[in-house]
Amino acid sequence: MIARRLTRTALLVLAATVVVFAATEALPGDAASVREAGRASPEQVAQAREQLGLDQPVVVRYLRWLSGLLQGDLGSSLSSGRPVSDLLGQRLPATASLVAVALGTTVLLTVAGLIVTQLRRGRGGMLAAGLAAVPQAVYAAALGALLSATLGWLPAVSLLPPGGNPWQDPRTLVLPALTLALPSAAYASTLLRGVLTDTLRRPHVVDAYRRGLPPMLVLLRHVRPFLVVPALQVLALTAGWLAAGTALVETVYGFPGLGGLLVSAVAVRDIPVVQGAALVPVATVLLGMLLADLAAAAVHRNGRPAVVRPVRTAESTP
Amino acid sequence: MTRIRWSAVAPGVALAVFTLALLGRYLAPNDPEQPVAVPWSVPSTQLPFGADALGRDVLSRVLAGGANLLGVALTAAAAALLIGVALGLVAGWWPRWAGHAVRWFGDLLLAVPALVLALVLAVALPGAAAVVVAAVLSGAPLTARVVAAQCATVRDSGYLHAAVERGEHGAVVLVRELLPALRGLVAADAGLRLITALQLATTLAVLGFGPQPPDPDWALMLSENLPGAALNPTALLAPAVPLALCALLCAATARTATREREGVW
Repeated sequence: MIARRLTRTALLVLAATVVVFAATEALPGDAASVREAGRASPEQVAQAREQLGLDQPVVVRYLRWLSGLLQGDLGSSLSSGRPVSDLLGQRLPATASLVAVALGTTVLLTVAGLIVTQLRRGRGGMLAAGLAAVPQAVYAAALGALLSATLGWLPAVSLLPPGGNPWQDPRTLVLPALTLALPSAAYASTLLRGVLTDTLRRPHVVDAYRRGLPPMLVLLRHVRPFLVVPALQVLALTAGWLAAGTALVETVYGFPGLGGLLVSAVAVRDIPVVQGAALVPVATVLLGMLLADLAAAAVHRNGRPAVVRPVRTAESTP
Repeated sequence: MTRIRWSAVAPGVALAVFTLALLGRYLAPNDPEQPVAVPWSVPSTQLPFGADALGRDVLSRVLAGGANLLGVALTAAAAALLIGVALGLVAGWWPRWAGHAVRWFGDLLLAVPALVLALVLAVALPGAAAVVVAAVLSGAPLTARVVAAQCATVRDSGYLHAAVERGEHGAVVLVRELLPALRGLVAADAGLRLITALQLATTLAVLGFGPQPPDPDWALMLSENLPGAALNPTALLAPAVPLALCALLCAATARTATREREGVW
């Protein structure tokens, strides 16, 4: 069972690398013409293509890139010439901190939201679904205008240098993390609310309430086991969305992380950096899903009532 | 006490808001790209929403700035929905390998977040095209998955067997017998596809891969008017409110349709 899940994840990672590579490489406008744009003769461009290995067929280039990837070598940036792995490594800690803070906030807000909607007998679900639908840029604008421009509590732009440590000035984390966490908490609670409602309708839960057990005890003993697996799945997905969502918030708030790196690399068509930076959120999602699957298997083995009813993960908040 | 059922009103309001946004440029009182007042002027009777950083009329820019964004989002959502429904019908009708392929593809694209896909595609494509392709690649498999699942339950029902026994052509059965049974499902999914497409289009525009200044655009206005939020907050609210409203209305529409078919989600 575990071997099957591992194989599946490995295959999905491989397929994801194909998607990322194909989207950047197979389309017109290759790296050589970008690097030599406007200041090179056709012969020089041809020479640069040869130097970068771009005269090879796309399959050969993919395999070469993949073998480099497996050895931790993602090539060099076309604009700065620095190794991509250095650029990623330099910015990874800041983004990891941001995603961790945002994930923690998401969990707190989701639990609070679930409790509130449950106390109001399921009303407010409409509100959560609506909040999850609003584009993240609107949250960024609203929070920036309120907390920074009007109230002046937080810096509008974090002036950290790349590789800087956000914990030296934790205030720089607040706006980006809140902007990430609000919509993802709304979405996570809409997903989990359905599971919670279904669980509360199960005969043994209804029976437990009828027997007059304290509601808290019913929740902890009879309801919680059914929520563990879906909650883990949602948590894994949320981590991936947050990693992807850093592209917007890091650019808007000038936070020196991987999302901002991806956006600026796309703007100058720095293909090796785009490929490397795009793989990070993809790896986060797949690793998270694998861990959630393994945890679900472990719960199942302990004889718990693991309802592995996969949460319908239709939408992604960007 | 009569409670207003928002979910029932939502589709009508959504239609009105989208129409206004798409045709708004013809109602704009001023040229949305020409300065008409002092930068960051506060709202007055002349300029109900005040002016932005360059002294341009915010009201005119809001009226003109929704068409492109919503047009891209609607195109992307429609493309994703059509392709998704077609794939879903195929996968649900011809079982086994087609169903497996659709499901596997859906898993794969779930792993590549739509925003990352759109950004990677924006390397080579213009922003609007990147939004459409990313919305199709990430949305169509999800639509296909729910449509295929529903197909599988409808496939064994009597009226479909009857149609097949009557000797109806396969395509006729799909379109005339099967598709109507999926109406509610497809309506709900349309709302979800539109939400994703709107989010993608907004994010890419804010990141600079969509319309370029001085074009009026709701998403661009969010980032343009943020620095003056303390001077003229209306300039920021004016694009934020209709953008949020569109998203809320899509969510409400999707929810109405979901509730109508109860329990599949």
